[in-house]
Amino acid sequence: MHSIWAIATNTIKQALRMKVAAVFLILLLVLLPVMGFSATGDGTLKGRLQTFVSYGLSLTSLLLCLLTIIISIYSVASDIEQKQIYTVITKPIRRFEFLLGKLLGVILLDVILLSLFAVIIYTITIYTPEFLNTTEAERIQANNEFFTARAALTVPAVDVSRDVEDTYKKLEISNELPDNISREEIIARLTMQKQLAKRAADVGQVLVWEFDNVEPLAQSMFIRFKYDVAVNPPDMQVYGRWFAGDYQYIKYGTESKTPIYDRIHKHSVRNFHEIAVPADVVPEHGHLAVAFLNAPLNNTVIFFPPDGIEVLYKADTFTGNFLRVVLLILFRLIFLACLGILASTFLSFPVAILLCLVLFSTACVSGFVIESFSFMSENISVIYSYTIKLVIQLLPKFDKFNPTKFLVPARLLSWSLLARCAAVMVCIKAFLLLLLALLIFSYREIAKIIV
Amino acid sequence: MKYAVETFSLTKIFSDWWGRAKVYAVDDLNLQVRYNEVFGLLGPNGSGKTTTLKMLLGLLYPTKGRALVLGGDGADPKINSRIGFLPEESYLYRYLSARETLDFYGRLFGLPAKVRKMRIEALLDMVGLMAVANRPVGTFSKGMARRIGLAQALINDPDLLILDEPTTGLDPIGTRQIKDLVLKLAERGKTVLLCSHLLADVEDVCDRIAILYGGKIHTQGQVRDLLQQTNKRQITTDAISDTAIEKIKQLIRNEDADCVVTSPMDKLETFFIKTVAAAQQQAQTTSGAVSTTKIGDFLTRQTVAEDILDKLVSPSGVPRTAPVSQEGSPESATTEKVVPVESSGPQPDEQLLSKLTGSAELSQPEPVVRDEKVTTQPVESKAALQEQVKKNILDQLTGRSKPQGEDEEQTDKLQAGDAGDA
Repeated sequence: MHSIWAIATNTIKQALRMKVAAVFLILLLVLLPVMGFSATGDGTLKGRLQTFVSYGLSLTSLLLCLLTIIISIYSVASDIEQKQIYTVITKPIRRFEFLLGKLLGVILLDVILLSLFAVIIYTITIYTPEFLNTTEAERIQANNEFFTARAALTVPAVDVSRDVEDTYKKLEISNELPDNISREEIIARLTMQKQLAKRAADVGQVLVWEFDNVEPLAQSMFIRFKYDVAVNPPDMQVYGRWFAGDYQYIKYGTESKTPIYDRIHKHSVRNFHEIAVPADVVPEHGHLAVAFLNAPLNNTVIFFPPDGIEVLYKADTFTGNFLRVVLLILFRLIFLACLGILASTFLSFPVAILLCLVLFSTACVSGFVIESFSFMSENISVIYSYTIKLVIQLLPKFDKFNPTKFLVPARLLSWSLLARCAAVMVCIKAFLLLLLALLIFSYREIAKIIV
Repeated sequence: MKYAVETFSLTKIFSDWWGRAKVYAVDDLNLQVRYNEVFGLLGPNGSGKTTTLKMLLGLLYPTKGRALVLGGDGADPKINSRIGFLPEESYLYRYLSARETLDFYGRLFGLPAKVRKMRIEALLDMVGLMAVANRPVGTFSKGMARRIGLAQALINDPDLLILDEPTTGLDPIGTRQIKDLVLKLAERGKTVLLCSHLLADVEDVCDRIAILYGGKIHTQGQVRDLLQQTNKRQITTDAISDTAIEKIKQLIRNEDADCVVTSPMDKLETFFIKTVAAAQQQAQTTSGAVSTTKIGDFLTRQTVAEDILDKLVSPSGVPRTAPVSQEGSPESATTEKVVPVESSGPQPDEQLLSKLTGSAELSQPEPVVRDEKVTTQPVESKAALQEQVKKNILDQLTGRSKPQGEDEEQTDKLQAGDAGDA
């Protein structure tokens, strides 16, 4: 243990004294406060805060990721290339201890730097409202829609497979099936049609969604939605009458103990909007229903995209959410540190850096890349899905666990989601990389120059 | 465990990426280094010396055969903790200062902070880098880096010291010092394996040598047996009168043998050391290493308070009988006693200076090479005399020990006692 610690502290000293970390440190120390003043967003307090947190955290995360890659690779590769390892590894230290020491050093440095920058960002964010001339309304908006952690309830896609089967059979019997299209494709098309129908409301029609286990902490909660329309209205705006309350009242019209929200709103189409609903409409049993009536004033069918309706409510504080988001960044850094250590055990410095940067940027867009495979023609996608897709799936999904994705819309990053991320990203993927690194390093010849 | 280092047909073949173009770096090497001896591995560049050492330490894996170091695997931490290794160049972390470097290596051995601190100071003092201890190692000259490399190899008070070209880049005083150190360690029962192509260094310190060429051993044996000219005798005397010489010549002619009489030349090494001694007496400042002849206390002491030290330091070998050791010890013991113990000044340089002048004032026997005093021993006797001369001059340069407190004084006495015993 003492030798691991000796290597770790030496790695930190190396990073700080070789000025690699110093450059990143100064860059962030200068940039963060500057961004605190210059970020304006859409002019409102909320917009300003969102812009700052978004850019501040993204920049911190990106720079620390790069720093982690560079330092973890440099500290091992330079020891091998400049041969300091000759005198270190011939001391009573096992090879795995050497690597663990390096890893511990990099992670400790990350923890120190990350906490420093997290404190800076947090402080600037918290004190921005106090230093600015803001209206009371802006503050309330910021408190409700930014300084909070809102849980989001979504609606699962409706199961329409039986409906689709029936329709298909009917078409088959009446011999109306198109000849040149395969069965799977017809089924897929029918499914899309049916699901769209479930999310569409004709003029005067009502759509009802139900949400379970709603437990808002604050005074108000939010319905977040996006309209799509069949025919564009003249001013691109539509009227909608929104209800929210006990599901029994909304569905069956029985007596309700809690008040029912009922109001007409005018909103533009194809944009996300939020309407604030007082939290006391939520019944005691937490089973909430939200209903939408396509107002007769509209002249078009209104439908909601698959992710077009959500109920948001405050489930935790901003501070708690911020802490978890910072931990999320730390997991990312730990993974990259293991990746860097692995690369440096069998590659020289420049090659290892290149490999890690490629993998890092791939992991940052992994969701997009994987999705794009599904649009390829079948023959090619078979090849891809057994090669590149496998590799990409081994990488963590940095875009899915993007820190700003949670803080900017004040989404709750729950402990359970965080734990899941930790389990996959750190306990499985990073650990496997480390294991591989230890194996390679334990069996390779130290004195051999690597290319 | 008969041998400190033993290899069994050790072979290392370097091949290219395709596994072709084979180079036999080391070929079927059977090396035996006994406990408690100074073994020299000689050979021209590229003869496989360094490759052999790397295989001993587990930095390279042998293609065939195996190596035993201190009865075990050279990559085993238990064995490593008893080995000191100085690679062919001092590969150091450029951003660490000299003191931090030693501290780092000390921590790898898990030495407690107190022991570490004590040893670091002793080693810095020994290699003469006390004045630059807080400078980054990256700014050191090659010789200075070499000194830190050596200090690094000694921090654990090793039983087996493996030195790869220990004297490259060192000035003659440093070279002399390393040779003294090697002898001193050998005297204390340590084993030293050194590889070099500087034959003068090897000749002075090694008990046995092996000459490598093309990865194969070509000669192996005792230095004396290999070098001694059994058909010649040499007599060294103090300055004696011409009549005496005539008498001796007559005697030799009676033996029916030839004889040549000359005044022996100083070795350049001796001359150099004298010159630097003079410069140091004039208190010329230097930004480089300060030459000392000190050897770390913990390396020469036998009874130590700290428990870990006890284990590390306890004499593991049999009392040494090799002739080389006998040359050095008595002289060093006496000179140590002669040097005055002065109160320590605040600045190391001042301290050094005061001691220099102090020892100059003392009526110490001036080391002058004279031509009288007949000795009958063959080869070694001359070496012994030279040894004494060098030692005296070196002692004069800096003083045998730098007293820093009561502890140090005690150690000096101990040291002197030990040397006397041996």
